Amino acid sequence: MEIMRIVVTGPVGAGKSTFIRTISEIEVVDTDRKATDETADLKAQTTVAMDFGRLQFGPNVALHLYGTPGQERFDFMWDILIRKAHAFILLVGSHRPQDFRAARRILAFMRYRTKIPMLIALSHSDIPNSWAEEDIAIALGYPSPHNRPPIVRVNALDQSSVASTIVALIETYAQEQAKQLNSIGGKL
Amino acid sequence: MAINAAKLQASLQQFVANASNVQGASIVSPDGLALATSLPGGMDEERVAAMSAAMLSLGERIGRELSRGKIDRILVEGDHGYGILTSCTDDAVLLVLADQGAKLGIINLEIKNVMPELQRQLGGTAQPLSI
Repeated sequence: MEIMRIVVTGPVGAGKSTFIRTISEIEVVDTDRKATDETADLKAQTTVAMDFGRLQFGPNVALHLYGTPGQERFDFMWDILIRKAHAFILLVGSHRPQDFRAARRILAFMRYRTKIPMLIALSHSDIPNSWAEEDIAIALGYPSPHNRPPIVRVNALDQSSVASTIVALIETYAQEQAKQLNSIGGKL
Repeated sequence: MAINAAKLQASLQQFVANASNVQGASIVSPDGLALATSLPGGMDEERVAAMSAAMLSLGERIGRELSRGKIDRILVEGDHGYGILTSCTDDAVLLVLADQGAKLGIINLEIKNVMPELQRQLGGTAQPLSI
């Protein structure tokens, strides 16, 4: 049995815990605590260490899903979780442009440590006044459409939507693997 | 009752100064915000508070899922000393950092002695470590 570790990260209130709860086959290990900072305006509970969920993907692969806390003061958890990850999802709420900067900082944090495949998932895109995909890509530092990670829309409450996001991530992962194999093959 | 932050801070500093082998202490909220701190130089109170909260919530989770019951204390023992997390009130946890020369029994007693005063100032009552 192969284990693939996927990290779900993103700013506060993007829907990371919900995302994992929606898809996990086991009861999610959460570490929610009552929020007492500005997060409390957004939601009552916030993740302080991690969320953990599991999903069987085909007969031989198990996915382990790790959700990070959103607040920057927990960046040591980002570091711990990303170290052993195979791929990660940056979950961004498209209706909260004030969080794009935080999302960009998380992205920089992860990119500084690892080059693993990733994709950007946009949640809350059904809310009026939410930003368009193209604009968010630019806000996250990807002005060129040719050189950016895959971007998908996701409804973190909807199982099939979350599942297709994970499939998209695994496809990205497989493509990266194939690319690496090819480049090794080219050198031989 | 309102919390007197300056007084709380002073009590914590006094505890760190008086208790032998204690290098620092911090009172943090369960979601990782510092309420009062007296830490050795070079330690960032924001990070310390967040780490304490993360440790505590995982510890509490272990208590529940691995049938250890309510958690009274979490102890991190390294070759340079101890980090001890003890429940203070429903909304606060005390972290104490002690050096490697510390006697654990004495530190535990010191924590037990300072606790009522901290609890009184935080306006809470003694609770087992559940948040």
